[in-house]
Amino acid sequence: MAAPEGDAGIAAGTRDVSRVKGRAFEAVCLAATSAGLVAVLILLLFVAADAFRPFSADPGWGLVYFLTLVVPVLGLAGYYYLSDEPAGEVAYATAGIPVVGLLAAGAMVVLVVELITIIELFATVLAAGLALAAIALHARLRRKAALERLGVMILAPTVAIFGVPPAEVVTLLNWAAGELGAGTLVTTRVTSLRELVMMAPVLPADWILLVLSLTLPVAGGFGLLVARRRDSRRDGLAFLGGAVAVAAAGLVAGPLTGLGAEGWVIASTFTLPPLAVYVEGVLRRREGVAGLVFPVVLVGGVLLGAVLVRQLGFAAPDPWLDPAFILDVPSRTPEDAGIYPALVGSVMMMVVIVVAIFPVGVGAAIYLEEYAPSSGLAGKVVTLIEINIGNLAGVPSVVYGLLGLALFIRVVNFPTGTVIVGALAVGLLILPIVIISAQEAIRAVPDSHRQASYGMGATRWQTVRRVVLPQALPGILTGTILALGRAIGETAPLLMVGLAASVRLAPNGFFDLGAAMPRQILTWSSEFEAAFRHGVLAAGVVTLVAVLIIMNATAIVIRNKYQREA
Amino acid sequence: MPQDTGRQFDTVSRRNFLLGTGAAGAVALAGCTQEVDDGNGDGGDDSGGGGGGDDSGGGGGSTDSDQLSGQVIIKGSSTVFPVSDTFAELFMEEHPQVNVTVDSTGSGGGFQNHFCPGESDINGASRPIKESEVEQCSSNGVEPVEFEVASDALTMAVNNDADWVDCVTPAELSQIWRDGGADMWSDVRDDWPDQEFRLFGPSSASGTYDWFSENIIGPDLRHTADHQPTEEDETIVRGIRDNAAGMGYFGYAYYASNPEQVKALEIDGGQGCTPPGLDTAKDGSYPMARPLFIYASESSLQREEVYEFMRFYLENAETDTVSEIGYVPSSAEQRDQNLAKLEEVAGR
Repeated sequence: MAAPEGDAGIAAGTRDVSRVKGRAFEAVCLAATSAGLVAVLILLLFVAADAFRPFSADPGWGLVYFLTLVVPVLGLAGYYYLSDEPAGEVAYATAGIPVVGLLAAGAMVVLVVELITIIELFATVLAAGLALAAIALHARLRRKAALERLGVMILAPTVAIFGVPPAEVVTLLNWAAGELGAGTLVTTRVTSLRELVMMAPVLPADWILLVLSLTLPVAGGFGLLVARRRDSRRDGLAFLGGAVAVAAAGLVAGPLTGLGAEGWVIASTFTLPPLAVYVEGVLRRREGVAGLVFPVVLVGGVLLGAVLVRQLGFAAPDPWLDPAFILDVPSRTPEDAGIYPALVGSVMMMVVIVVAIFPVGVGAAIYLEEYAPSSGLAGKVVTLIEINIGNLAGVPSVVYGLLGLALFIRVVNFPTGTVIVGALAVGLLILPIVIISAQEAIRAVPDSHRQASYGMGATRWQTVRRVVLPQALPGILTGTILALGRAIGETAPLLMVGLAASVRLAPNGFFDLGAAMPRQILTWSSEFEAAFRHGVLAAGVVTLVAVLIIMNATAIVIRNKYQREA
Repeated sequence: MPQDTGRQFDTVSRRNFLLGTGAAGAVALAGCTQEVDDGNGDGGDDSGGGGGGDDSGGGGGSTDSDQLSGQVIIKGSSTVFPVSDTFAELFMEEHPQVNVTVDSTGSGGGFQNHFCPGESDINGASRPIKESEVEQCSSNGVEPVEFEVASDALTMAVNNDADWVDCVTPAELSQIWRDGGADMWSDVRDDWPDQEFRLFGPSSASGTYDWFSENIIGPDLRHTADHQPTEEDETIVRGIRDNAAGMGYFGYAYYASNPEQVKALEIDGGQGCTPPGLDTAKDGSYPMARPLFIYASESSLQREEVYEFMRFYLENAETDTVSEIGYVPSSAEQRDQNLAKLEEVAGR
C-alpha cells in the first residue's frame, strides 16, 4: 500500500492526492465481504459434511472417483477456461439443462402425484387446448369483431375448464345459502369439458395421458422454436415426432431404468427436448462444439467410477441425504426419517402464496405507481399508505403468525394447521416486500417512455400494459421470487397457526393438514437422539437450501430472458 | 401402434385391411386403457374447492378398518410427545390413510389454544387437567375424557462437574426453585460452593412445570421466574451441560437418552436417597414419580379413526414400547380400566 508519509511527503502531498483513505476503505470493505462469505461457507460446509458424510466412505472409493471423475472434469474445465471459452459456456449449459429439467420433472411429479391426478391434468390440458382452438378459430373467421372476441376469450376457457358457473363457485354459493337458511341456490349449471372428460368410463393408460397432456405441449413449443429457427415446418414436425416417440418409448425403457413408464415420460419430456434444441443450435452455429464433450466425460466418469468401485469392492459413503430421505415420511428412527410430506407441503404453500399474493402485490404496486393521486389530500393519504407498507415489511414474522391465527382461524374459521392457513399467513408476511420491489421496478421505467407513449396517442391502460409492464416485469419477477425464497424458510408464522411438529401424510389438498420444511427442521432440532440433531437435521437443511437455490436460479433465468427480450 | 400402417397394402382388399387394422387397433388400445376411478379423481378437488372448510376433520371415517381414513390431531405436553408420536407412526403403518399429526405445545398450551377451542382431538398432559381448563372446554362444548397412560420419573439434573452434590431433598429443591428462594448454592447447604444457580426448566405452559410447582415447591409458593424457560427439553440438557452451576428438570426419557451429558440427582423423600429410573418410579420409591395422561374429546371419540387410534394407543401403552422411550408403561389393570372407559364413552 502506498503511504506518502514523513517530512518529504508533506511537499509531495501538496501535489499528489493522498490515497491512504481510499485504500483503507477498500481494504475494510473487502475484509467485511470476505468475513461474511467465509462464515457462511464454513457453516454450509459443516452442514453438507453432516448431510453427505463423505468420510464414511472407503478411502479407495474417493480415490476411484477422484481419478475417473474429478481429474478429467477439472482438466476439461481448465482447458475451456484457458483456451476455449465458448466451449466452456456450452459445457456449462449442456450439463445444466438436464439438471434443471430433472428438477422441473421432480416438481411435476410432486404436483401430479399429490395435488392433481394424471387424469385431471389431461382433462384440464385438453379443455384448455380446445378453448384456445376456439379462440383462434373465432379470430380467423371473424377478424373484425373485437368485442365479440373478448367475450369468446373469457367464456371459452371458463366453459371448457370450469363450466358455467364454476363448480367451486356453486359449492361456495350453496354453502353460504345453506348457512343463511336459503336452501340450495344454484341447481343447474353447464358441465365443463374438463368434467366431461373425467367422467368418461374408459380412458387411455396413464402414460399415454401424460404423453398427450405433457409431452405434446412441451415438445410442441420446442418444435415451434426449431421450425422458426430453421425456417422449416418439416423439421419442427420431425422434432415433435421424435420427442413423442422418445417419451412413448417409456413403456419399454421406463421399467428398465427403474423410473416406470410415467416417470420416464415426465423425465424425458423435461430433459431431452430442451437439450436437443440447445445441441442443435450449437452444432448449427459451429461454436464451442468442443464443449459437448463435457457431459459425455461427466456421465462416463460416473459410470466408470461405479463399475470400478463395484469391481474393487469399495464401500460408498452412507449419506443422510439420499433419495430415500426425500421420499420417506418422518419417523422416530433417524435412519428411516424423511422429509417428503414437508417438501410437498412447502411446494403447495408456495403455489398458494404465488396465486394469492402475486396478483394482489403487483396490482397494488401498479396502482400506487401509475394511478394513485400524488398531490392534494388524496396524495397525502397515498403517501401515508406507502410509508406504512414500507414499515410493514419490517414487522417480525411472529406478528404475522398472530395475524394469521386471528384472521384466518378465528374469524374466517379455516381449520388450524392446514396448508392454506400457513400459506396465507406467510403470504401476508411477504406481501409488503412484493409491493415494494414491484414499485421499485415500475419506478425504474424511464418517464420519457411513458411520455412518448402518450405522445403517440396511447391511453393510460395501453401505456401501462404495453410500455411500463414489459420493462418492469424482470424486476417484478426477481423481487417476487426473492420474497418467495424468504417465505419458504419462515417458521414462526407456521408455529402460530398450528402446523404440527410431526405429520406423516403429505397433504392432498389445500385444506388438508400440512407440514412444511422449516417446521420439520425445527422438530428435528429438538429431538433428543443425537442422530436427529446432527444427521437428519443437516439433510433437511441441505434440502431446504437446495430448493431455495433452485428458486433463485429460476429468478435469474427469468430475469435474463425478459431483459434480453425487452 | 398400427395407425401408421401405410399404403403398401394395396394388393390386399380394402375390407380385409379394415378388418385387420381394426382388430389389431382394438387389441392395442385395450392394452393402453384404464378404468376411471371416481374416488381417486375427485379426492383432491373436493377438499380444495370446498369453500366452507369448517370441518375437514369430520370427513372420511368409515367402518372398514382397512379403508379407515380421516385425521387425528394431537397437541399438548412435550413429555408425552415421544409416546404419542411413536404410536402415531405405528398406527399409520397399519392404517396409512389416517393422518395422525402430533405437536408439542406444552400441556397447558395445548388445552388452552387447541384442545378446548375444539381444534384438536387429543391432548397429552403431564399433569391432571385443571378446573379452569375444564370450564374453558365445556364452554366450547368439548368434554375431556382422561386416560392415564404411563408414568414418569421427573429428573433433576446438574452439571457433570458438580461433584459436591449427589442427593437432595424435596424441601431443598423447593428452596432452590421457589420465588424468592436461594440465590447461591451455599445458601442451601454450607458445604456447597459460593456460586449462583443457573436454572433451566420448562415454561409455564408445560405440565411438568405445573406438576413440579404443585408437588415439590408447594401449592402456596410460586415457581421462580429467574430460570431459562423452554418447551424444548433438549435445550435444558444443553444449558445444564454448559454451565458448571447449572440445574434443571425434565422428563426421565430425556435423561435416559443423554445419560452421559448431565448428572441426575437422587432424591431423598424420607426413605433414603433414590435415583430416578423406571423401576424406582414403578415401585413408588422415587418421590418425583408422576402420572402422564392423554385427554380425548368426547365428541372426537365418536369418529371412527379417533376411536381406533385411541384403542391402539391404550392397548400399546402397556407394552415395552413405552419403556423403550423412557417411561413406565401402564399396568395391565390400568389398561383394562382405560379400555372399558373408552368403550363406554364412545358408546360401543
